[in-house]
Amino acid sequence: MSSIWENYKTDNAYDELMFAEYQPRAVSHTLCQYLNTLNREDIDKRKTAAELAILEMGITFTVYSDEGNIDRAWPFDIIPRIIDAREWKIINKGLKQRLTALNCFISDVYDQQTFIKENLIPQEIISSSKNFRKECVGIKPKHNVWANICGTDLVRDKNGVMYVLEDNLRVPSGVSYMLENRIITKRVFPELLQDIEILPIDDYPTQLHEMLCSIAPNPNGKPQIAVLTPGIYNSAYFEHAYLAQQMGAQLVEGSDLIVDDDDCVYMRTIEGHEKVDVIYRRIDDDFLDPEVFRKDSILGVPGLMRAWKAGNVALANAPGAGVADDKVVYAYVPEMIRYYLNEEPILPNVETYLCSNPDHLDYVLKHLAELVVKPANESGGYGMLVGPHATAKEVEAFRKVVIGNPRNYIAQPTLAISTSPTLCKNKLEPRHIDLRPFILQGENTFVTAGGLTRVALKKGSLVVNSSQGGGSKDTWIINMETN
Amino acid sequence: MLSRSAERLYWLARYLERTENIARQVNVHMNLLMDLPKDVEMGWQHLIQINGCKDAFYSRYSSTQERNVTRFLLTDTTHPGSLLSSLSFARENIRTSRELMPDEAWRQVNELYLYSNKQIDAITNRRSRVLFLNEILEGCQRFNGLLSGYMSHDNAYRFIRLGRNIERADMTTRILELGSILLSEARSPSARQYENILWMNILQSLNALLMYRRHVRSRIKDDDVLNYLLLDEALPRSVNCCLFEMADAIQSLPNHNQLPEKLAELQDYVKSIDTRQTTQTQLRVILDHLQSRLGVLHAQIAKHWFLNSTQDQYQSSSKTEEQNPA
Repeated sequence: MSSIWENYKTDNAYDELMFAEYQPRAVSHTLCQYLNTLNREDIDKRKTAAELAILEMGITFTVYSDEGNIDRAWPFDIIPRIIDAREWKIINKGLKQRLTALNCFISDVYDQQTFIKENLIPQEIISSSKNFRKECVGIKPKHNVWANICGTDLVRDKNGVMYVLEDNLRVPSGVSYMLENRIITKRVFPELLQDIEILPIDDYPTQLHEMLCSIAPNPNGKPQIAVLTPGIYNSAYFEHAYLAQQMGAQLVEGSDLIVDDDDCVYMRTIEGHEKVDVIYRRIDDDFLDPEVFRKDSILGVPGLMRAWKAGNVALANAPGAGVADDKVVYAYVPEMIRYYLNEEPILPNVETYLCSNPDHLDYVLKHLAELVVKPANESGGYGMLVGPHATAKEVEAFRKVVIGNPRNYIAQPTLAISTSPTLCKNKLEPRHIDLRPFILQGENTFVTAGGLTRVALKKGSLVVNSSQGGGSKDTWIINMETN
Repeated sequence: MLSRSAERLYWLARYLERTENIARQVNVHMNLLMDLPKDVEMGWQHLIQINGCKDAFYSRYSSTQERNVTRFLLTDTTHPGSLLSSLSFARENIRTSRELMPDEAWRQVNELYLYSNKQIDAITNRRSRVLFLNEILEGCQRFNGLLSGYMSHDNAYRFIRLGRNIERADMTTRILELGSILLSEARSPSARQYENILWMNILQSLNALLMYRRHVRSRIKDDDVLNYLLLDEALPRSVNCCLFEMADAIQSLPNHNQLPEKLAELQDYVKSIDTRQTTQTQLRVILDHLQSRLGVLHAQIAKHWFLNSTQDQYQSSSKTEEQNPA
C-alpha cells in the first residue's frame, strides 16, 4: 500500500495543514490520521464520487471562450482546508471592522467627503475612479450601507500572517460553490464529519434573505425580493439561480422588469405587473440602467436608478459602491478604519505601491520582475503581471502598459501565499490557496464561517481564479476546544 | 409567477414530452420491422415524413437507411428536433427555472442528459438502441412522477401540464398519421393481412394496447383504434384526453380570458371527427388540420402569458418547426 502522502514536501510557503513532512498541525490532526487509513485506490474512489456528484448536481461555471459547451464542471479538490476557530474569531472581527469602515467611506464619498477634505486620500483618486458615480451623490441608502454583500480575499504569507488582498464590493461571486462544496464533502467523507466539530455554513441563504429584507423600503410585511441576473451566458449564472432558489426569491432578467410612471419597479408576471421591493442585482453598474449609464445595455432596466433614488426599491449592492472596490483605494482602507472607527485595523493590508505616486512608480519600474502588478479595476485575475513567473519579454511589455496609464496600476510584493495538501493524480502535493469569506451588512453584519478556498491547481502557480485553471476546496473552521 | 418562468416551464415540459415521443416513434417502428415479413415494403422514410422534417433530413443525409434515420432522429444535435436536442433544450429550460422546481427534478433531467450523451455511438446497434430508448422512456416517466409527487400543484405545475399535453396531443396525431401512411402504402393484398399487427403496434407505442382491450373489447381494427386514440375520455394519450387536461389547467390559470372557449371549440372539432366515414387520404388531411389547430392554440397560449419580447435562441428554431408541421 503506497501512502498518498508520499514525498509530500512543503516548499517555501506556509502549509495550512502540515508543519513539515508527516507532521500535521494541531487543527489537521484528525483529518491526517483519517487520510492515513486510505490508500490511493480508496482516495481515487472518493474523488470519482465527488466528480460524479458535481456533474449530477450540475455545479458549473461558464467560460465564454468555450465554444459549444457553455458550462463546465466546477473543479473541486476533496481535501479540505482547515482553520482553527480561535483564529477565525479574530478574522471574523477584522472583516466586520473592515466592511463597516468601507461603508462609512462610501457614504462619505457621496456626501460630505470629509475624508478627502482632510487630505487622507487625494481627490483625484476618487474623481478618476471609473466606479465613482456622480449620479449617486446625495443618496442615502438604508442603514447607510452601500456595500451589502462583500467578498474579501485573504491570503496567508510565509510567516503565517493573514492579509487582506482585496475587497470585492461590486458583484462578488463564489458563495454558491462554498455551499455546494460542503454538500459534496458530506457525501464523500461522511464518517469524518461525524468526528470533527466543523462550524456550519448552510445558513447563508437565510442570512442573505434577512439582510435583503432589512433594506426593503417598507420594513413591514413581506418584501418581494428578486435576484437580477444578466442571463444564462453569465459565468456566475449557476450561482444566481442557486441563490434565488435557496432564498425562495424570484430570478429575473432585465426584460422581466419595468419601471412605471410611479417610479416603482414591477415584474411581468402571468397575473400582470407585480411590485418588487428589493433587488439583489448581479449586474455591474454600467449595465444597470440605460437611461443613466451605458445606453446600449440590454441587460438592465430603464428607469431603475429613478426608482432607487425615489426610495421605492432597494438595490444591493447600491450603485456606486464599487468606488471602494479599487485597488488604489484599497491602500487607504487602514486609514479609513482609524478615521471612521477610531480603531486599529485587525487585518493587515498587503504592502501596496501606487503607480500614480511618482516615487512608488519609480520603485515599481525598477523592481518589476519581483512584483505582482495589477490593474486597479479588473477582476477574475485578468490583465495582471506576476513578475517572478513572467518572461523578460512579458515584463517589458507590461512596463509600457504601466507607464501609459499609471493611475490604473498598483504593485505588491509577490507573496509566498500559503499552500494546502491537494490531490494530484491520487497523491497529495502542496498547492497555493487563498480564501474568500463573504460578509453581509444591512441592519446587522454577518460573516460566513470560513468561505470559499480557491486553489491554484497548477504546480507552483499563484493564480487561483476558476477562469484561469483554479479549483476550490471545502473550508473547515474547527472548534478545537471541544475536540 | 414571471411570464418568463411560465414560458420556460411550458417549454421544458414540451421538450421532455417530445424526447419521450421520439423514443416511442423509433420503438414502434423497430417493432413493426421485426413483426412484418420481408416482402412488406416498409422503410424508415415514414418517420421523417410524419415529423415533417424532410428538408432538414436530406440536407444532412442522402438516403433513408436505418442508420441515418435513427441517427438523425435520436442523436444528431445539428437537428433541433432530434431526441438529444430536445433533451438538451429541456435541460437548458430546467437549468434556468431551478428556483421553481424541486431539486430532484433538475437532477433527474440532468442525469438523463448525461447518460444520453454517452450513448451516442451505442444507438447504431439495435440491441443497445432498445436499451437506450427504454431508459429514456423510464427517465421521462420518473420525471413526471416526481413532479406529481414533489411539486406543489400550483400555476408553475399548470404550465408544465399545458406544455406536456399540447405536445402529447400533437404526437398522438403523428403516430396515427404513421399508421395511415403505412396502410395506404401496403399495396399487396398479402400485406393487408398484417393490418392487425400494425394497429397493435400503434396502440402499444402509446401504451394503449391493454387499455384498448379492456375498454373497447373488440378485435383490433382500424377505425376502432382511431376512434379510441382520438376520442377516448380516459386514456392519457388520446387527443381528447390531452385537450381535457389542458382545459383543466387553463381554467385555473389567471387571466385566461377567451382561452377556455377556444379550447372548447377545438374539443368539439375533435369530437366531430367520424373515422368510419373517411378514407385514408381524408384522414391524413384531418390529422394535418388538427396539428395546425394545435399550433394556433400554442400561439394563443404564448400571446396570453409569455414574455413576447424575448425569444431564446435555443427555442426559436424548434418553435418555428412546431408551427409548420409538414
